[in-house]
Amino acid sequence: MKRTAAVIGVGHSDWVGDWHRVRAGERPGDSYHYGATAFRAAIKDAGIKREDIDGLIVGPTTAYERMAEVLHMDVRWGDQADAVLSVLQAVQAIETGAADVVALVYGNDQRSAGIQYGGPQAMGGDLFLSYVYHAPWGMTSQGALYAMTFRAYADRYGISERDLGHVAVAQRQGAARNPNAIQRKEITLDDYMAARYITEPLRLFDYCLINDGGVALIIAEAGIARKLSDNPVWIESTGRFDLNRNATSLEPRLTDFYRPAQQAVAEQVFGTSGLDPSDIDVFQVYDSFSVHIPLALEGYGYCGVGEAGKFMSEQGIGLGGKLPTNTSGGHLSETYMQGWAHQIECVRQLRGECGERQVEGTKRVHYSSDVAGKAVSIIYGRD
Amino acid sequence: MQTTKTPPRILGLYDVPMWTFLEQDRQLRLQCCTDCGTWRYPPGPACPDCLSPDSDWKPVSGQGEVVSWVMFHKEYLPEYPAPYNVVAVRLDEGPILISNLIEDPAENVIGKRVKLVPVEMDDGVVLPRFELESA
Repeated sequence: MKRTAAVIGVGHSDWVGDWHRVRAGERPGDSYHYGATAFRAAIKDAGIKREDIDGLIVGPTTAYERMAEVLHMDVRWGDQADAVLSVLQAVQAIETGAADVVALVYGNDQRSAGIQYGGPQAMGGDLFLSYVYHAPWGMTSQGALYAMTFRAYADRYGISERDLGHVAVAQRQGAARNPNAIQRKEITLDDYMAARYITEPLRLFDYCLINDGGVALIIAEAGIARKLSDNPVWIESTGRFDLNRNATSLEPRLTDFYRPAQQAVAEQVFGTSGLDPSDIDVFQVYDSFSVHIPLALEGYGYCGVGEAGKFMSEQGIGLGGKLPTNTSGGHLSETYMQGWAHQIECVRQLRGECGERQVEGTKRVHYSSDVAGKAVSIIYGRD
Repeated sequence: MQTTKTPPRILGLYDVPMWTFLEQDRQLRLQCCTDCGTWRYPPGPACPDCLSPDSDWKPVSGQGEVVSWVMFHKEYLPEYPAPYNVVAVRLDEGPILISNLIEDPAENVIGKRVKLVPVEMDDGVVLPRFELESA
């Protein structure tokens, strides 16, 4: 396989400290503050100077131009993208020569700013078709979309609500061993089942946290990465496939569970890298809701179609399980950084920096995201 | 369902006819491609099959099948106090509509046949909802 780019630095803000500050009524800063905090940590981790960077991508929660102004950076290439697409675009920029060292910076004050993901003010809801064609009937909130997806999936394959509980339990196991995680109290399947429904069939522990914070990564061209870093984390392969047909009617979620997109992406990331699911040591999945995990396990071939419930309960997705998944606690228990913190966990597992939650001997980590029908994957690896 | 008002609708350029037909005729009409007969929902500028810009607003049968459903236990919208149900119904014509069942389901209703019931809300909006065929 061809290694063209590597992550040479990662950083993040104090998610736990800021969680407590915000709950105490403080506003530690705005989205740019969190981005700048993470950026400082990432360039320190990479051992580079700001002047070494010639490309910048910022998350969708901040304006590109303003973030560059705050960080006082003039660059020759830049863009705004979500977590997973920013990694893909950084690699593409490096491969085309548009940039050599790209900083990816995300900051979000969603908790202290009171951002809502359901209801009348949901993310500028009136601008999204889905809210126009759902709201008159009371259909709102991203969680409800996944509740509806899970109900159809459970009806088709017989997975139980208790089976789904393995996701929240396994991720809390990792979070309990992660000092950066916000929710660290371990839970059992009984605790999961005893929690209240939010939108049935999903319960409290199926939902992600909402907290303030920032994440940053530094991605460098291969030759530069080798020069600057003793332990570069390679981007081995990437893949993407989008399902937008009939999306407003929820058809791709409710009838195929995004599987055709994930299968197409699996061919790209495994096919081009010469790897297959058995080569993956740690799986990281965008988990705004627990439901993403069983769907990704099946979509990428870690288990058979309809077998995710059995896989999670018998083989295991926790630490010590067959496929440790979202080892940091993920969005459900560590921090809701909209996929950005997952990239850091990929890097740290490969560097062997994860302490009590370290999966020993990790050589390949697969990150998968399937937000709104956009299936994207990255395989990270180390020498 | 105890709701009496509709959360504000923000109607786009192609949305008005569907709601006007509902209010005037108590009938759900959807765009149907003039050239190839493919149904179109949500309303839009081009046929999803042949890309033709032309369409006629034709009444649908109102018959369909439940694809999935949920119960909201948290209130998000003031017009919808919890608990309440939301269903996804595949019309016999093809498109999937997000809607409500008149009666909250007592058991899993996926695969159950349903028929459309236009419900006039206190604010004058006629909302296409559904009831189980056996009801």
